[in-house]
Amino acid sequence: MKSFDPRVNRIKPIEEKTEMNIGEAWEPYEVFHQKKRGDHHIHVGSVHAPNAAQALLFAKEQYGRRQNCVNMWVVRTADVTQFQYDDADIFETAIDKEYREAYGFKVRDKINAYKKQQTESK
Amino acid sequence: MTPALYNFILKTADDCFILGHRNSEWTGFGPFMEEDIAFASMAQDKIGHAWLLYKMLDENAAAAETLAFKRAEKDFKCCHFVEQPIGEYDFSLMRHFLFDHADQLRYEMLMNSSFEPLAHFAKKFKGELKYHTMHADTFILQLGNGNEESKARMQSALNFCLPLALGIFEVYEGEQEIISQNIFAGEKVLQEKWLEKILPIIKDAGLQMPDMATLQAVNGGRHGFHSDYLQPLLKEMREVVDAFPDAIEW
Amino acid sequence: MYGNGYISPEETAKQKPDPLAGEDLQQLALFEERIARGEKIEPQDWMPKEYRRQLIRMIEQHAHSEVIGALPEGTWITRAPSMKRKLALIAKVQDEIGHAHLLYNAAETLGKSREAMINDLLSGKSKYSNVFNYPATTWADVTVIGFLIDGAAIVNQVINAKGSYGPYCRALERICYEESFHLKQGHDALVHLAVGTKEQRAMLQDALNRWYRPIIHFFGPSDKASVHGTLLMKWKVKMASNDDMRNQFLDQYVPKIRELGLDFPDPKLNKNAEGVWEFSDPNWDEFFATINGNGPCNAERLAVRRWAEEHGRWVRKALINPSQKQVLPLS
Repeated sequence: MKSFDPRVNRIKPIEEKTEMNIGEAWEPYEVFHQKKRGDHHIHVGSVHAPNAAQALLFAKEQYGRRQNCVNMWVVRTADVTQFQYDDADIFETAIDKEYREAYGFKVRDKINAYKKQQTESK
Repeated sequence: MTPALYNFILKTADDCFILGHRNSEWTGFGPFMEEDIAFASMAQDKIGHAWLLYKMLDENAAAAETLAFKRAEKDFKCCHFVEQPIGEYDFSLMRHFLFDHADQLRYEMLMNSSFEPLAHFAKKFKGELKYHTMHADTFILQLGNGNEESKARMQSALNFCLPLALGIFEVYEGEQEIISQNIFAGEKVLQEKWLEKILPIIKDAGLQMPDMATLQAVNGGRHGFHSDYLQPLLKEMREVVDAFPDAIEW
Repeated sequence: MYGNGYISPEETAKQKPDPLAGEDLQQLALFEERIARGEKIEPQDWMPKEYRRQLIRMIEQHAHSEVIGALPEGTWITRAPSMKRKLALIAKVQDEIGHAHLLYNAAETLGKSREAMINDLLSGKSKYSNVFNYPATTWADVTVIGFLIDGAAIVNQVINAKGSYGPYCRALERICYEESFHLKQGHDALVHLAVGTKEQRAMLQDALNRWYRPIIHFFGPSDKASVHGTLLMKWKVKMASNDDMRNQFLDQYVPKIRELGLDFPDPKLNKNAEGVWEFSDPNWDEFFATINGNGPCNAERLAVRRWAEEHGRWVRKALINPSQKQVLPLS
């Protein structure tokens, strides 16, 4: 049957069963993209590639095609170590750690009281 | 603009336009999604370059459309290489490798052109062209050094493409004038640089370079004599435009 | 582009009477509390088997739709009638492939490999948006697809981007951003035909006539009973009913066609006093027949994809790295 797509009429589309074998999609790499100098590299997604050089090329197309970009990193997904979300409670804190926050240190009252005392004693 | 300069710009633009058109055909048909995307990007770059060059020939916005969509086949000055159908990926990849190295070097040389608008574009296109050859080299090296099938395919694609690729450097009308006016150093110089550039990559890819002395360049395009593929390509490209002769805008 | 509001009937039939059988109820409660708080679920989280199954199916179908959706519009990629249209169409179809890529990755985080998903597409086991089983017979079809099908897809995707699964939401966020260009270029090309010569305008009206029914079909038939309060709604897998999404689409887009003095071939297409769009019976039998493989282009679409996979195999195989590992993308 003639297709409306001239490109399809130039090939012999395949009616029989066709399968991709496991491994033909290689392995995933995670992509980090830096929008401009001075910015952090930010994780933007992944690509499948047979090696790092190829992964960079694919990342450039997929994640650098439509946005500003000055640099990219790719890292084999298999090489990334992460916490489990189940362990997210390790990031919770039992007490309000005000001793390590700027707001935990307020001496303005003390200074004002001291100044007042100094003025009154004159 | 002198006829020689016009001719030089036109044939440079036609190569990019027709190759971009061809490579756009891969969108949706590539060996994996990433390559569909890559070929579509490079197709856009090439057609974009052609569009800018067509506009350089005539500032009237409609003129570029006329050059692309209304011009007679014999008035096209592209080489036969870019006219060939996309075929299988091995051919398209090898064409991309051989053509894009020539294209990148051409614009590198044009950075010093005495014709300022060309020097300006040459600088503007630099990054895209660098990426095109980076893409081509990565694949040629991988597939040339890949398995038996990919090696064999790359080798026969190289053998098939080389005579066609030599057609890129066909002498065109007015070339002496272009050289003497320091607009461009000439196709012969370009071809030498090109060979110097591709030979080590071909070697690293584990491929055999045929004896250049035995190769016959496929010429004719620069003088308006084309392969059997250009006329049908143009007819297809213009199917919509031709069916609506009264339409002014799309 | 795409809409996945529609859940195919054989899947619904397959759905177990108790989709939660055997689940750890304590984990389930925590999972549901997280979703209720508006937090996202990430790939490494515990999740009910039914949630995973439904999401894989939905994201995978969405990915297939992008890859197959590249074909009807790609039909005109070599024939776009101006330099700008040529470039815009290549870029647009390219984006659809890019979307497929993002979505296959998102689905893969749930445990199904890209190879397995593509095999299910090629064998016909896995569905894709029905709308792409119709041919793009003229240039005007490209403008109608670009404006109205992409417009419908945006309605669907913006809603789904508020769903519960992190990787899918992230992919959709990026997709929606790119779709805004698709919609604009589609509208621009469509308007140029509408205000062009009478032949251009006639070509457009003809395309609107042919695409009207597939567009009404796009969001799927009315959901049986109310979908509000179902498990998929509670889990934020399905975010709105098919009818609600269709209504939102018609509300936004019918006026944009009518303002051009054009219309759809349905005298009953109208907004009633309650603000709900009414339309003639769109023949859902045709919809089911098409989705089950009997549409005008089903066979061609899959045969082309098989060609691409088969002819690309030598490239993929030659690039295989012996040390590559089978792992899932992170997020």
